[in-house]
Amino acid sequence: MGRKGIIVSVAAIAAVLGAGAWWLSQPKSINPAEVADAERAVTPSEFPDRPLFGDTHLHTDNSIDAFGFGVRLGPEDALKFARGDEVTSTTGIKAKLARPLDFLVIADHSDGLGATRRLFDAPRLLIRDATLRRWHDMMHESPHQSQRAIAELITAAANNTLPEALRDPERQKEATKTIWTAGLAMLDRYYKPGVFTPIAGFEYTLMPNGNNLHRVVMFRDGFDRTSKVLPFPGIGAGPVDGLWDYMDAYEKTTGGKVLAIPHNSNLSNGLMFELTGSDGGPMTAAYARRRAAHEPLVEATQIKGDSETHPYLSPNDEFAGFGVKGWELGNLPLTAKTTPDMFAGNYLREALKRGLSIEQRTGANPYKFGMIGSTDSHTALATGDENNFFGKHTGNEPNKVRALAPQNLGTRVGRFGWNYLAGGYAAVWARANTRAEIFDAMMRRETYSTTGPRMVVRFFGGYDFAENAFEGDWIRNGYTKGVPMGGELADNGKAPHFLISALMDPDGARLDRVQVIKGWTDASGKTQEKIYDVVWSDMDKRRAVNGKVPAVGDTVNRADATYTNTIGAPELRKVWTDPDYRPGQRAFYYLRVLEIPTPRWPLFDAVRFGFELTADAMADAVAQERAYTSPIWVGPAKR
Amino acid sequence: MNLPSWAREPLVHFMIGGAALFTFFAWQGEPADPASRTITVTREDRALLALQWEQTMQRPPTDAELDSMVETFLREEVLYREALRLGLDRDDPVVRKRLANKMDYLAASMAETAPVSDATLRQYYADHPERFAGEVHYSFDQLYFAEKADAKRALTGPKSGQSISLPGNFTRATRGEIAGRLGSQFVDALDSVAVGKDWAGPHASGFGWHLIRLTRREASQVPPFDDIRDQVEADWRSSTEADRREQAYHALRDAYRIKIAR
Repeated sequence: MGRKGIIVSVAAIAAVLGAGAWWLSQPKSINPAEVADAERAVTPSEFPDRPLFGDTHLHTDNSIDAFGFGVRLGPEDALKFARGDEVTSTTGIKAKLARPLDFLVIADHSDGLGATRRLFDAPRLLIRDATLRRWHDMMHESPHQSQRAIAELITAAANNTLPEALRDPERQKEATKTIWTAGLAMLDRYYKPGVFTPIAGFEYTLMPNGNNLHRVVMFRDGFDRTSKVLPFPGIGAGPVDGLWDYMDAYEKTTGGKVLAIPHNSNLSNGLMFELTGSDGGPMTAAYARRRAAHEPLVEATQIKGDSETHPYLSPNDEFAGFGVKGWELGNLPLTAKTTPDMFAGNYLREALKRGLSIEQRTGANPYKFGMIGSTDSHTALATGDENNFFGKHTGNEPNKVRALAPQNLGTRVGRFGWNYLAGGYAAVWARANTRAEIFDAMMRRETYSTTGPRMVVRFFGGYDFAENAFEGDWIRNGYTKGVPMGGELADNGKAPHFLISALMDPDGARLDRVQVIKGWTDASGKTQEKIYDVVWSDMDKRRAVNGKVPAVGDTVNRADATYTNTIGAPELRKVWTDPDYRPGQRAFYYLRVLEIPTPRWPLFDAVRFGFELTADAMADAVAQERAYTSPIWVGPAKR
Repeated sequence: MNLPSWAREPLVHFMIGGAALFTFFAWQGEPADPASRTITVTREDRALLALQWEQTMQRPPTDAELDSMVETFLREEVLYREALRLGLDRDDPVVRKRLANKMDYLAASMAETAPVSDATLRQYYADHPERFAGEVHYSFDQLYFAEKADAKRALTGPKSGQSISLPGNFTRATRGEIAGRLGSQFVDALDSVAVGKDWAGPHASGFGWHLIRLTRREASQVPPFDDIRDQVEADWRSSTEADRREQAYHALRDAYRIKIAR
């Protein structure tokens, strides 16, 4: 073929492909009326009859860090996986959930949405910024180098030294809009009201000096409303009031609803639950109200550790050390150490207590939040089970070395693979599996957090529950004569009663015990906490000694990562009355449900891949998985 | 500025840019052979570099910036050609993977947003009923017992189970719902139970033992096309994408004779 021939054919191919691309690039979204019809076809039950399990915090290849860590699965793979389909992970391993999830929030970082993918694909010649060019090269060099590039990127984001091109919101806007809109259309395509609910959201990555103030932002609405806004950037922005302004503006202009869920307070170096307002001044009632209204839930547990409490804060709590190792050392990128004075602002139990004392002072409680768990997985795979853990990010998808390898985002030593938890899930007492019902249940905090297992936990507070309250339709009684988890009781001078029921995960481990965790402010305004073992397995044999219930035992075989359900109970339930009630006291009560000891993912890895755990890792290779419910608050009646 | 969305497609930019470059070089008489020892940077090349800069940075480059881009271009071009001459592109897993990814991307990218006719979807729906079949629905009563012996006794005696916070009856429940509440072991057991008025069991679950009275088992049906059009489309889209990648690969692979030493 002569040169002319080549020119003609290339031009023809280009023209055909160009025309094809045009024809193909019309975004496809579902007609909002169709979505509404499908939602209307689902009838909510009178009272929630089963908890919906989901993940509110999943990253895909659109997240700036996740892509750099290597993930090549996008939102569609994430949705398929969550609803129960088998997909192939980035590293080529077949992945499937033993049980599907009921809902999923894809929460990619709003900052630089899709930016690393664009940096990866950009012609090197046009990358002027030396840092960006180096990251581009590292991303192309090897998976290992790519992970280092992203570690540098996270540190730069934490230190606010990201290259200009990644920070300029105007420059990011077009790309963000394309990805956001396409993503929203896809959520509607996968939405099956009553069966599987994809929910729109993003992660707001506020991180002053590497101190984690991240929030997942999630919407109640479908494409017609959510496509009117873009995700709100967090890096270099702040304080968090800016996010609340954005949320207010969304609700005002679209008539929709949106909430925010803080996470990894354990990596905030004391900043997540401060006693002050975000301007550093004393917390005002207005600020407290605003925070509580926008942030009804907090993520209590996820892959990067558990934030319920720390042994330093709760020295009398023998179960306080779960998911603390490694994470307690410093902030997110380990650029600053955590000192003990910071713990109080890092953990949820202390925050709930602080909320009471701020309320006592100002009349409003900023930390009246419920609890959920989630994964924060960066693999597009919302795995929460210990024997099916696909890693924090693609660099630690299942392989022989991940459990023992150092996992430092920055350069300082201290965190190892085995410090990761397998993730958590959010349990939501919604009346139906639709966006609106899930969102509304979250707003009323009728949720609990699990570290992965799907135990079913009910918790009602009231004044009219009799000792035989579990006879008959006790759930109706719970709702009509009391309030469910997340609710508030007005103090009426009598000790509150609680209906407590925890069913084991039918495909999981039996239950060791259920505890009520009470926090209150005493007469002098000081906060206190107390843990009550209220019901446990084999109560006749396991007598409490000096107020302590003996350990349940341990059936885990370390050699083959198995356990047996020969100890523990299938259900634990109890009508419980606070023995230490004082009239006029401000208090909260939440449940902690503990399973019998089971293997954690590093032990499954050690058996599957045939290697020995180090002594440290082995000591942490078996744990009691757990659930935390949202609290029920008791306090002076509202005037 | 309100560009139509196709004009913002990187692929379109790539095609048009590619076609322009090719036409330009062909017209220039520039040998396209990467192994050539001559590199000519024309005024038009410089203009193109400046234009690309402007598109990225939203302003024209200064002379110094343009010179430095040309230098970078030359440096990379020289090293690139030398690398090709030495065959460094071969046996490099990164280059290999990167090029393979580009080919895959080209083949698959178009299925993502393509509009599709109802006829195509109906055909797909007709060809793959198993993908859209609804779930089997079960209606049953269950009684719970902590111990197997108690359950056995109840099978012949009075039908009262032990107290546990599980529903005693399910109406038109799917396997997923039942598995969620009673566990996978229970669902599997349900398949061995005959429909009727008799109690069956004891069957095990994570909780303990159950007697089951299965009153109805409704076979799965494929919902009408119109009710699940979106689901059909989502499914068609992803399978078409995978198919195209595979087809493109096989079209290329067919041109190879492959020998694998065992």
